[in-house]
Amino acid sequence: MKLACVIHRFGADIAGGSEGHCRLVAEHLSARHDVTILTTCARDHVTWRNEYPSGESRAGALRIVRFPVRRQRNLHEFRDLSDRVFAERASAAEQEQWFKENGPDTPALLEFLERRGSEFDLLLFWSYRYYHAYFGVPIVAPRAVLVPTAEDDPLVHLEALRPFFALPAGYVFLTPEEVDLLGDRVPVRTPRAVIGCGIEPSPPPPGPNPHASVSSPQPPIPNPYVLYLGRIDPNKGCERLVRHFLRFLEMTERHRDVSLVLAGPANMPIPEHPAIRRLGYVDDRTRDALVANARALMMPSPFESLSMVLLEAWNLGVPALVNAKCAVLRGQVLRANGGLYYRTALEFAEALDYLLDHPAIARQLGDQGRAYVDREYRWPTVMAKLEALLALAKH
Amino acid sequence: MSDSEDPTTQVAPLIQQIEGAVGARLRRRLVEHGVSAYADEQLFERVRSLLQHAADGRNLDVLLLPELLGDDVEWTLEPSLTWSTHRPVVGRAILFAKRRLLLPLTRWLFEYSQSNFKRQARLNRILLACIEELAIENARLRRDLETLTHRSKDVRM
Repeated sequence: MKLACVIHRFGADIAGGSEGHCRLVAEHLSARHDVTILTTCARDHVTWRNEYPSGESRAGALRIVRFPVRRQRNLHEFRDLSDRVFAERASAAEQEQWFKENGPDTPALLEFLERRGSEFDLLLFWSYRYYHAYFGVPIVAPRAVLVPTAEDDPLVHLEALRPFFALPAGYVFLTPEEVDLLGDRVPVRTPRAVIGCGIEPSPPPPGPNPHASVSSPQPPIPNPYVLYLGRIDPNKGCERLVRHFLRFLEMTERHRDVSLVLAGPANMPIPEHPAIRRLGYVDDRTRDALVANARALMMPSPFESLSMVLLEAWNLGVPALVNAKCAVLRGQVLRANGGLYYRTALEFAEALDYLLDHPAIARQLGDQGRAYVDREYRWPTVMAKLEALLALAKH
Repeated sequence: MSDSEDPTTQVAPLIQQIEGAVGARLRRRLVEHGVSAYADEQLFERVRSLLQHAADGRNLDVLLLPELLGDDVEWTLEPSLTWSTHRPVVGRAILFAKRRLLLPLTRWLFEYSQSNFKRQARLNRILLACIEELAIENARLRRDLETLTHRSKDVRM
């Protein structure tokens, strides 16, 4: 098949969840299909500043066509409009305007879809929340497959999305919770598949070693520690995680020697505290070592469509402690029997105490997580589901 | 393989155990600080479950009391900024000055207030949900009491 993957930004150096998912899926699809990436020249997801050159390029088997962003995002206007839209005080026109302001405003991409969309058998659009999908899907609806990457945030409940969600010829979901979230707004007869994302098997780790330390960061990380991996951002629940962890240290009697390691770029101030270690961006090798030696992975995000970090932790046999307010995370932990979840600071402290008090059970939860990844998230399994869906959507 | 032979460590019972321990700790602390009613564990659990349902288990956008209060624009907090004018010519200039000159200068204050308004608005919704849960509980008890009263009258007759 001749396929297009349409995404708001694309590049090996782009760390976003849906962008990474698109890149991995496109690379795997290119083994059997002719795959073109239709994207923008933006690298920065906040401003959408043009940074990549427009036009065609190649990345391995993938052909990439980039379109320039017409204007950068005005953050203040966007925030004010978001407040009105999410307070359900916005008109239909303002709701539509929200998708324009959210960007990346790329009319050349829409013109391309109008002129040449019919050259593709199917066009897969990632992330309904961005301009390219909201305005692009209606142009090629009979050939459009939407990968919504929807989270249970106020946006997904907008009235303006009801007709939009009825348009695509097929749906690729990341979790069963995402299917429930869109509910009856997706017509019953529209083909759909829950594929998640593939992950390569890791060599069996040596297992958590309470005496080991991760030596790549300077100074080395002392064990025991629990790990947060990813963008350190209030929207990812990190402020609350830090508060919960400090409260845990006040309450715990046996585990005052535990550290919280935060690895990833920070968009918020992190308190100076001897038990909190901020590492910033870490390379893949350090990242794997950090995960493998952590006593547990912390996943405090209230909004997720699929947590790849969670799968990475399970891939290395590490249990997780996740925010139960995110149905996706709670669902993943329950399906995998791969960790614990919490709603409040007290539950966080109790659950963390439990994992640290019972290392054998914690290890078993991690192993069960790995077995779940083996069952559901290896590439042959994921691609078999996706290929079946594409075949259905094409007819 | 039967459940008893299943070697899987199930998460759900562990969570129940953790929630139980947290509840017990909370109750102890409250009793120690003078809320003697919670010495009754069953009563504490009922209260906790009712409030938990109001705070966590309900869609806070769909409540009865706000519907009865009428036009929500008149009573809800409005944390978002709206711009409008009734002056056809001068109004535009005033709006422009407010948006482009005044707002950038005072945005820090606006955003600080806005985040507090948002918290208050959310808390208001949770309190409305709590009131509604209590009203439901009260209505059920009243209904049960009336049924029992009727029954006892019938028995006496």
